[in-house]
Amino acid sequence: MARGVAFALALLLAACGGSASTGTNTSNSYQGKTIQLGAILSLTGAGGVYGPSSKKGMDLAVEKINNSGGVNGAKIALDTRDDASDKIQSQQVAQTLFQQVQPLALLGPTLSNSAVAVHPLAESLKIPILAVSTTGINIVPNCNAPSTVPCTYVFRDSLGEEAAIPANIKVYSDMKHPKTGVLMVANDDKFSKDGGTIVAGTVGQYGIQLLATIPFPKATADFAPFVTQAVQKNPDVIFITSLGNIPANIMREARKQGFTGQFLGGNGFNTAAVSKAAAADGKGAESGSAWYINNTFTSNAGFVSAYKSKYSSDPDQFAAQGYAAILILADAAKRANLTFSDAAGDRTKLRDAMEKVSIDTPLGPFQFTSKHDVKQTIWVIQMDGNGGFTLVKSVTPS
Amino acid sequence: MTQQVLNAIFIGSIYALFAVGYTLVFGVLDVLNLAHSAVFMLGAVITYSLVVLHGMPLLPAAVIAVLVCGLLGLLIEFVALRPLRRRNAPPISALISTIGLALIFVAIVEQATPGTFFSWLWQDGANSVRFPAGTVPDPTYHLAGLTIEGTKLGILVTTVVLMLVLGYVMRFTQVGRALRAVAENRRAATLLGINVDRIFASTLFVSSALGGLAGLLFGLAISDISPYIGRDQVELKGLAVIVLGGMGSIPGAVLGGYLLGLIEVFALVRFGGNVEAGVAFAALFLMLVIRPQGLFGARLRERL
Amino acid sequence: MDFFVQLFTNPVGFYNAHELLIAQMGINAILAIAIFVTFYSGQLTLANAGFMAIGAYTTVIMNTYLPTPLPLDMLAGALLAGAISVLVGLPVLRLRGVFLAIATIGFVEALRLGVILNIPITGEGQGLKNPSPDPLGGIVPILISVPILTYLVWRLTHTRLGQAWAAIREDELAASSNGINVPVYKMIAFIISAILAGYAGALETHINFFIDPLEYSVTRTIQILTFAVVGGTTNVIGPIVGAVFLTALPEIVRQFAAYRDVVNGVILILVIIFRPQGIVGRGGLAIIRPRWWTRWRTRERAAAAH
Repeated sequence: MARGVAFALALLLAACGGSASTGTNTSNSYQGKTIQLGAILSLTGAGGVYGPSSKKGMDLAVEKINNSGGVNGAKIALDTRDDASDKIQSQQVAQTLFQQVQPLALLGPTLSNSAVAVHPLAESLKIPILAVSTTGINIVPNCNAPSTVPCTYVFRDSLGEEAAIPANIKVYSDMKHPKTGVLMVANDDKFSKDGGTIVAGTVGQYGIQLLATIPFPKATADFAPFVTQAVQKNPDVIFITSLGNIPANIMREARKQGFTGQFLGGNGFNTAAVSKAAAADGKGAESGSAWYINNTFTSNAGFVSAYKSKYSSDPDQFAAQGYAAILILADAAKRANLTFSDAAGDRTKLRDAMEKVSIDTPLGPFQFTSKHDVKQTIWVIQMDGNGGFTLVKSVTPS
Repeated sequence: MTQQVLNAIFIGSIYALFAVGYTLVFGVLDVLNLAHSAVFMLGAVITYSLVVLHGMPLLPAAVIAVLVCGLLGLLIEFVALRPLRRRNAPPISALISTIGLALIFVAIVEQATPGTFFSWLWQDGANSVRFPAGTVPDPTYHLAGLTIEGTKLGILVTTVVLMLVLGYVMRFTQVGRALRAVAENRRAATLLGINVDRIFASTLFVSSALGGLAGLLFGLAISDISPYIGRDQVELKGLAVIVLGGMGSIPGAVLGGYLLGLIEVFALVRFGGNVEAGVAFAALFLMLVIRPQGLFGARLRERL
Repeated sequence: MDFFVQLFTNPVGFYNAHELLIAQMGINAILAIAIFVTFYSGQLTLANAGFMAIGAYTTVIMNTYLPTPLPLDMLAGALLAGAISVLVGLPVLRLRGVFLAIATIGFVEALRLGVILNIPITGEGQGLKNPSPDPLGGIVPILISVPILTYLVWRLTHTRLGQAWAAIREDELAASSNGINVPVYKMIAFIISAILAGYAGALETHINFFIDPLEYSVTRTIQILTFAVVGGTTNVIGPIVGAVFLTALPEIVRQFAAYRDVVNGVILILVIIFRPQGIVGRGGLAIIRPRWWTRWRTRERAAAAH
C-alpha cells in the first residue's frame, strides 16, 4: 500500500513538472544532508480545529518531496510541536525548538494571538518564520507594531483578512447591491476583533450602511438574544466575524428567527466543519478564501487526491496552506545555496530566497509581496448547504 | 422586546438545568464538582454518537446517554471524591481532583478523530457538530411575530417538571429526607444509621445524570456539540446561577437560572454586547457581597 | 523523558532551550507565593489573575505612553494592584471558604470581560503590544525576584504579623478573642498577595511581546490555585515547588502528544489523592489536623503574638 502511494506520488510529481523538488541544477553539497524545519501548531485546545489540518498538509508535502529525491538530494525533516493553543506555551515551544533542533526555518503558530508573540521572537533570533494559518492584522510585515521597523524574517502564506474580507464584500456588492448591514463580532479575541474592524472599515466604500455592531463574548450559551438584536434591524446582510462553530450557530438562529438576507464573513466561514454545522441554514453564505477544493489546476488536483488517499478525508484550507508552506520552503531551500555548516548564514540565505518564491501551489500561483504577505488569487466561495462550498468568483491579485 | 423576554426565559432554562445538578452536589457534599461541565458535554456527545455514528433513534439514545452520565457521576465519586474523604483531605482538594477529571474527559473527546481509539465515541476532534437534519425533531413555531423553537420549549418544560419532581423527592421521600439529613449534618446522619457513602454516591449519580440530560438538551436546542460546550459555554455561568439562587438550593438554582437569563438579556438590549459579557460576574460578585446566602439559601456554610 | 535526559546530561543546553520555560516557572513561583500569603492567613481568594492583569496592563500602558523607566512602570503596576485590592477586599473579605473563592472569581471575570473589554486604551479584545519586550533578558529580574520574595515572605511568616495570620487560619474565633484584629490582618494579607500578583503580571509582560485578556481569565486563576494545593501550603516552599512542577509538566509529558492533557489530568488526580496536603509539608490546611492540635497551636501562637 505504502509503495503504491509512493508510486502514485511519483507519477503525480512527474505530472506537475516544475514543482519544488524536481530541479537538477544543483551543487552536490545538498546530497545526503537534512533540511531541518520546525513547526509550532495548536494540536490540542481551541486551536485544535485548525492545527491538525495544517500538520497533515505539511506531513503530506514533506513525504512527497522526500519520496521524490528531496531538495537537491537533501531530505526535509519536520519537527512539529503542540502549543496547546496557549500563547505562553507557544513562545516557549518556539524557543525550545530553536535551541534543540536548530531548524533552518519555523512554521506557524496556528493562532493569531500566539503569532503576535512568537513572530517577534523569531525575528530577534533571525530565523525565517512562515505563518500558515494566521489572518489577523499586524502579522506581516509590521510584527513589531507599533514600532515601524519592519520584520524581515516573518512571512505568511495564509491569506489575510485585510485582503479576503474586502474582496468578498466587493464581489457580493457588485452582484447584489446591498444597502444595509449588521456586524456581529466576537469581542474577546484578536482574530475576530480584527475581522470586525476590517468589515467596519470596508462597507462604506460599497454604499452599505452599518445599522449596528453587535459584539458578543465567545463563551455564550445561546446566541438567540444577539441574533434578535440583529434581525430586528432588518438588514440586507449580516456580517459575522468569529472563530469556531459560532458563525454556524448564528446562521441557524437567524434563519429560525426568519432572517432571509445574506451572510458574509471571513476566514471563520472557510472550514468544512463550519459549513457542515451550518448545513441548510448556511446555504449561500459567502466568504473570501485562500483555497477552493474543486479547483482543477494540476497543483491542487494532485494535492487533493494525494491527501484523500493518505488520510481518507477531504483536505481543508488549512491543510492546503500547510502543504503550500512546505513547497515554498523547499523551493527557497533549493535555490538558497545552503552551506549546511553556517546556520545563521543559511537562514539569511533562505530568507532571501523566500522573497523570490514563485511556484504553483494548491492555493494557485504563489508569490510573496514585498511585505512578505500572500500574493495569490482570492477565491470567493459560498456554502452549499451540505457541508461543502461552491465557487462564486475568483479575484486575481492586483 | 417580547422576543427578548422569551429568549431570556429559554436561556434561563438552559442555565437552570445545568445548575440544578451542580448545586445538588454542593448542597449534599459541600464540594464544587468542576467535572460537572465535562459530564454535561459528554451527555451531548454520547447522544450524538449513538444517533449519528450508531444509527440509534433519539429517545433510547438519550436514555442511554443520561444513564451513562449517571455512571460517570459514580466514577467521579469513586475516583476523585471518595479517596479524598477517606484521607480527610480539605474540600479544596476535591476541586483539584475534579478539575483533573474534567481535563481528562475533555481531552479524550478533543483528540478523538477517525482511526483513533475513541473514534466510536466521537470523530470530530475539536470541531463542533450538530444533529443532521431529520435525525432529531426540530420544529419552529411563529406566533404573532414571535419565534418559538420547539427544542427550547422542550428544555423549559423539562426544567419545570424536573424541579417539581426533585422538590417532591427531596421533601416527601425517604431518600430525600436522608439526603437532607446528610446535607444538614454528616455526623448526625451517620449516627441515625444513614449510609452516608451511599447517599453521596447516589447524589453524584443523580447530579451527573441531570448534567448529562442538560447537555443533550443543549445539544438539541443550540445545535452546538463540541468538547468545549461545558467548559466554555455554561460552567462559569452555572457558578453565577447557583450563587444567585443560593448555593445548595435546588429551587434557588432554577430561579437563579431565570434571573441570570433576564439580567443578561436586559444588559444586552439596554447597554449592548460589551456590557452583557461581564454582567453575570458583576451580578455574582454583588450578590455575594450583599446577600451571600443567595435568594434561597437559608444559611451560610463555611466549612473549608 | 527527553526533558530529564537533557536536564542532567547537558544542563547548559537545557537552560538555553528552556529559558522561557524557566522564566515562566519564576513568574508562576511568584504567583504561587502570592496565593500562599492569603492561604496562610486562612483565606481562599482566587483574585490573583485579576491583580496580574492590573499589574500587566498598567506596566504596558505606562511604558507605551509615558517616558518613565520600566522598573517604575512595574512598580506602579504592582502598587495599583495593591490599591485596587483594598477596594475589592473591603466588601468580599467578610466572606469565607468557597464563597470567598467564588466572589473573587467573579471579580476576575468582571474585570476581564466587563472592564478590559470596554476600555479602548487596553486594546480591548485585540490585546496590547508591549513596546519594549525582552524575552531572553527578562529572565534576569525574574530569577533575582524569586529568591528575594521567597525569603521576604518566609521571614514575614515568622514575624508577629505572620503569627497573627496563622492564628486566624487555625481558628478565627479564638484569634479574635485573643485580641487579634482579624479584618485588618486579613486585609493586609490580601493586599500583599495582590501586590505580589501585580508584580508577577508586570514581570511577565517583560518576557512577552503581547498581552491580551485571555491570559487573565479564571483558567489562570485556577492554575495558580493548583500550584498551591498540589505543592502544599504549610510553608512558602510548597506552592513554589507546585508552580515549578506544574509549569514543567506539559513539557515533561510532551511525548504523549495528543493525549498529554489526559496524562496531565491523571497526574493531578494522583498527586492530590496520595498527597492531599501537597507535595511539600505534612500539615496542609487547618481542617485536616486534629482539633486539639489546632487549639493548642492557636493558644501558643496567640500568646506569642502578644
